[in-house]
Amino acid sequence: MKYKSQKVAMPYFIAALALFLGQIIFGLIAGLQYLHGTFLFPALPFDVAHMSHTNLLIVWLLMAFMGAAYFIVPEEAETELYSPKLALITFWIFLVAGGLTIAAYLLVPYAKLAEVTGNAVLPTMGRGYLEQPLPTKIGIVLVALSLLFNVTMTLIKGRKTSINLILVGSLWGLAILFLPAFYFPQDTVKASFGWWWIVHGWVEGDWELILGALLGFILIKMTGVDREIVEKWLYIIVAMTLISGIIGIGHHYYYTGAPGYWIWLGSIFSAIEPIPFILLIAFSFKMLLQRRREHPNSAAMLWALGTPIMAFLGAGLWGFIITLAPAQYYMHGTNFTAAHGHLAFFGAYAMVSLAIISYAMPILRGRVANSNSAQRWEIIGFWTMVLSMIAITLALTGAGIVTVVLQRAADNPMGFMQVQDKARVFFWIREFAGVTFLLGLLVYLRSFFIKGEYMYADEVKRALAA
Amino acid sequence: MQQVFTKAMARNIFLGGAVFFIIIYLILSYDTFQRIPERDHANKMTASVLRGKYLLDTNDCIGCHTINGEGAYFAPELANVYKRRGPDFIKSWIASQPTGIAGRRQMPNFHLSPAQLDDLVAYMQWLSNIDTNNWPPNIEG
Amino acid sequence: MFTHTSNLSHRIEPEPQPLPGDFAIWIFIFAELLVFGVLFAAFAFARSAHVELFTASQRTLNRTAGFANTLLLITSSYLVVRANHAIKTGDRKACWHWLLGALSLGTLFLLFKILEFRQDFAHGINLSSNLFYMFYLALTFFHFMHVIMGMVILAAVAINTYHGRYSASNHTGVETGASYWHMVDLVWIILFALIYVIH
Repeated sequence: MKYKSQKVAMPYFIAALALFLGQIIFGLIAGLQYLHGTFLFPALPFDVAHMSHTNLLIVWLLMAFMGAAYFIVPEEAETELYSPKLALITFWIFLVAGGLTIAAYLLVPYAKLAEVTGNAVLPTMGRGYLEQPLPTKIGIVLVALSLLFNVTMTLIKGRKTSINLILVGSLWGLAILFLPAFYFPQDTVKASFGWWWIVHGWVEGDWELILGALLGFILIKMTGVDREIVEKWLYIIVAMTLISGIIGIGHHYYYTGAPGYWIWLGSIFSAIEPIPFILLIAFSFKMLLQRRREHPNSAAMLWALGTPIMAFLGAGLWGFIITLAPAQYYMHGTNFTAAHGHLAFFGAYAMVSLAIISYAMPILRGRVANSNSAQRWEIIGFWTMVLSMIAITLALTGAGIVTVVLQRAADNPMGFMQVQDKARVFFWIREFAGVTFLLGLLVYLRSFFIKGEYMYADEVKRALAA
Repeated sequence: MQQVFTKAMARNIFLGGAVFFIIIYLILSYDTFQRIPERDHANKMTASVLRGKYLLDTNDCIGCHTINGEGAYFAPELANVYKRRGPDFIKSWIASQPTGIAGRRQMPNFHLSPAQLDDLVAYMQWLSNIDTNNWPPNIEG
Repeated sequence: MFTHTSNLSHRIEPEPQPLPGDFAIWIFIFAELLVFGVLFAAFAFARSAHVELFTASQRTLNRTAGFANTLLLITSSYLVVRANHAIKTGDRKACWHWLLGALSLGTLFLLFKILEFRQDFAHGINLSSNLFYMFYLALTFFHFMHVIMGMVILAAVAINTYHGRYSASNHTGVETGASYWHMVDLVWIILFALIYVIH
């Protein structure tokens, strides 16, 4: 660890992983409710399990991004973090507020929660991913401001690398793009239009910039490839992201009440949204091929290379399948969306978070890399989660196909509940893959508890003996 | 074209491209907002309809259902349910939940008064008249 | 193929490399041509399904204005060629003047196009009028924005020329700006032919 203050990243990373585990548990509950609709009803209705699953996802990713920022910004800026104490206080506030919010979801009926938290004063509740009560949303803004203040002050007094500028800039973007959470017009169509400023703006825009910056940082550190080359590629990638993604938001506007020209504009521009993901693959593998060193943290390298591939599959490929208006006409609002969403979120954002954690945690614990034994556990966890997620995606795609064939494209369409019944086999496969995913996550978490660091001397001895 | 493509050029394309497309998006959004009230019959958003919307939001209906394809995929599409089932069915259905049928996906009872049910149905009727470019493909949603 | 260059962190402009230098700018040119190409293809596809509507609506366009704009852009492209030629012989002053000329014609293009848009809106033509007008407005406006972008680039190049930052041996900035402007001109020619003329 080059700067003592980088240490504040550790609680963020630990909390991120704990919340990730929580997310998966709720996911398994929700997935089981697809098959046994009375499971845990009425104590834990599906919508509560679902919102806990999605909200935990977002909070753990934000924790990981924040930890990444506290680790990367001081190192890139070549100066200590402005206020490690503020970062630590903010961590506890975020964690406690997040925990209280999930507890509130679980313990208080949603309408009651809205009543007691002042939703009538400024309505913000009742939208996907934005289920949080008003006080929580305000808390998120304050936490974000604290992060922005801290890293911006650090950046100002230090070296302004492109990675730092893109990372800090996109964190500002993340915060600004959250503000529409407080804008909930009474007109449902306008509300839907604005909702995507946050959701699309984050995951198909701003967060891709964060992903690029994190990946760029890891690759510079691990391969030793010249910074100028990495940073130039990074600008190209983020340029293509915004060039395709800003009007590409139109692929959410085909069938929700917006004018018809979005059908054309959204299709054309969102069709090029896979390009930055293709470039990310080329980028990371090129760095690998041009590497000047063999970094002992093979696990981190695997995450860093796996991320662009899985991100391309989930965001690029599965996204492309549902992006063109004529195709989406049949697939809109089906499990195709869930398939894309799971693979994209995991492949891009979960994996890049796990990549930075994989790289940074050993360093935060005082070593360059973990022992071979620990890395092996981590790598098994990697493959188990990756393959499980691919299975989940394929299963949900299958369920989506059933819906399209029986309910959307059919001459004599079947009703929703009947169609869901027909898709049961896919929901079983999905649940089974969800269980193996959890096992992979547990194996991955176990790797943190295996003692020892990477032993250069032993590796050299082994190499010489061979 | 034999020339050197520098990091600075890439950065300028990034910044220029972002500003360029944000401007276009703002202009398109302005036009969209101008067109929406006509497409969704905003003039028919009565107080009852708005109360109904508030009920739908604060009971997190979107946590299981979809509205114009957006939401969760656990339960049926609501934007055209008014046309599919009619107001009386919808009101009695909501009031009689949960079904308690073994294994079937369950919907909670939200303890809504008859007036609230009327408001909710008014909102669903309003939803069913939005011009969504002919979506969904059929009545099943 | 994979050159291991020495530590470049202190230099702003690295030596030309086989990769990624030229390759990288082609990504952007590819992206530009791709989007316009797809838009034109989409227009052609839409037209094939609504021939009568498109032909009837096309007749309402102001072909005189379109033709004038075509002449303006072609001429300004010629001026940019002269500017590039001038700097190749080291004549900074001439380059500066040719660029100013190109910028003036570009400004006229924008002016004429704005007047044409105002006329369109006055007649109630907007993005939602019909499919033809949607394409016409979207394409010409998208191109309009590119003309502005091109002028920003040319203006930056002109300022650099004025301050003597280019020479006979170092003028890649002028070439880049020129290339972008030619692309904008070429796209307009295709657009004018496809949307205003061909039926």
